[in-house]
Amino acid sequence: MSEDEEDIELRALQRQLDDAFETTRPRRGFEDQLWLRLQARRPFWRRVQDGLAAVVDRAREVPAVPAAAVAAVLIVVIGVGVVSLSGLKLGGAGSVATTSGVQPAAGNFAQALAPGSFGALPSPVLSSTSSSPLDFGPSKVATAPAADQSVRANPVYLGPTTLTWTGKLEVNATQAPVFRYQEPTGAFANQFAASLGAVPAASAGSGYLGTYSGQDFTMSVRSSSGAPPGEPTFALVPTGADRQASQNTPSNAALALLSAHNLAPSWVYTVSVGTAGDQVRVNFLRTFAIPGQGPAHLVDGVGDRYGLAVDLKGGQPVRAAGPLPLSLDSAAYPIITANQAVHAALASSPAGPATIDPSPAVNLTSAELVYAVVHSGDTLLPGTPGFYEPCFLFSGTFTYNGTTYLKRVLVPAVDPSQLNS
Amino acid sequence: MLADRPTFEDLYRDYMGRIYAYVRAQVSTSADAEDITAQVFMNAYRAYDRFETRNITPAAWLFRIARNATTDHFRAHGRRERLRRTIEHQPVAGEDPAGMAEERIQYRALLEFVALLPERQREALSLRHSGLSFEEVGVLMTCSEDAAKMLYHRALKALRESVRQGEA
Repeated sequence: MSEDEEDIELRALQRQLDDAFETTRPRRGFEDQLWLRLQARRPFWRRVQDGLAAVVDRAREVPAVPAAAVAAVLIVVIGVGVVSLSGLKLGGAGSVATTSGVQPAAGNFAQALAPGSFGALPSPVLSSTSSSPLDFGPSKVATAPAADQSVRANPVYLGPTTLTWTGKLEVNATQAPVFRYQEPTGAFANQFAASLGAVPAASAGSGYLGTYSGQDFTMSVRSSSGAPPGEPTFALVPTGADRQASQNTPSNAALALLSAHNLAPSWVYTVSVGTAGDQVRVNFLRTFAIPGQGPAHLVDGVGDRYGLAVDLKGGQPVRAAGPLPLSLDSAAYPIITANQAVHAALASSPAGPATIDPSPAVNLTSAELVYAVVHSGDTLLPGTPGFYEPCFLFSGTFTYNGTTYLKRVLVPAVDPSQLNS
Repeated sequence: MLADRPTFEDLYRDYMGRIYAYVRAQVSTSADAEDITAQVFMNAYRAYDRFETRNITPAAWLFRIARNATTDHFRAHGRRERLRRTIEHQPVAGEDPAGMAEERIQYRALLEFVALLPERQREALSLRHSGLSFEEVGVLMTCSEDAAKMLYHRALKALRESVRQGEA
């Protein structure tokens, strides 16, 4: 080999090494996870210091606001900040919620858990529109008899009832994180699809950010749904080799499909499996960690847990649907006490119309902290924020005409002073 | 805050990925790479108040912590086992399939060859391709800039031979 040829070969190798080190990155979500862990270790005084700096920065960005008003806001925020921060116990690695994202590294970065920094929040509610955010067309699998709390056999009744409470609710946390995402653009959906090796296949229909075709799959990406509120989602349908994959359990088959397409959840989940005939749905139920309280499941518009779902037929995956991996910011908000939550549940307005007359009496017997998606407005334009907010989900059953109904009540966990009126 | 010192947030944003890549080139599993990377930034966070840019660049400072953390990892877990697994190209027990799928490595084979280089060559090559100047590589490896260059070029040629033999 001549000296020139050797030189060319070494330069090519250097370029490969540059690429190798440039493209080697941790799994999605790790960057945000680690940052949250680092934030959790910050001393109290530094959190206060940064909180004040953020307020001052924001005041500087709004010169039209009179100085006196800024000063008044500062006093209020300082008060709230000190009270909030003093109770902030983020714990160590185990107490950090994972987040996910497919944006470039520089954009994939969780904000610090600044208290209340998203401002006043919209309130989560249950919705009489009962479809799940993950329902893409007719392939919905019926839920199985309850082997897991996430699957239910009873219909949910959201109409008016007379409520009592005999359950037990313990709330240790005084604050909980609220997570915020931005409604993605079509370009983001294209980028996400490209990361899976898919290209645009056809013009996207209303409510969709794009439809795509890959080597062995088709995929659609949908923007947030308004009613019931849901985050942006993807649905992938394997069309080729994936369908021949054979695994010993539905969960393994589901995970194999997700892993093959780089879609395995980067967030913490629990698994539930439901069957209906020859169809099986494996649910990777998403959870968010509440420091001092533990994991809280994400629930949909009727209070059912959800996350990423894989449908299988004859042991082979036929569809996967789940939340679009988005970058999440987080901010700590004060939450109400267990007593306040119970009072709010008993005084709550019905989330649906009256279809049973007279209004049944229902004894609520259980409650848990959960997360629900909320949007800040009716319009879901790209860039507008959506939130994962903590709530209390109360449940009880009653029987009417031989049918046992499940009554659910959703109460925002965030302190009412932090919610839009 | 000291003048011309980036905020820790900026440092994290700019270097987290590069530190992970550097560590990943040394160890055999993504889980180990994550653990070490986490340790690096925990250590860096604790020490950041004492960090001064007069003596060392932020990049070199972080990579020194990463190098120490990686050394500590090998000391604790045994380098021989890591090498054996790499040489045999065996899938590593305990490597989470989901994690493997999610990890973004396009040149896994090339990095495996990097991992087989003699220690100092591997470090010189990894640090250089993590974006450090030869001067910074020299500072970290306690040698001159010229010595770092020589070490790097020897590593590059050794790597080329390994790749050739691997392809043959």
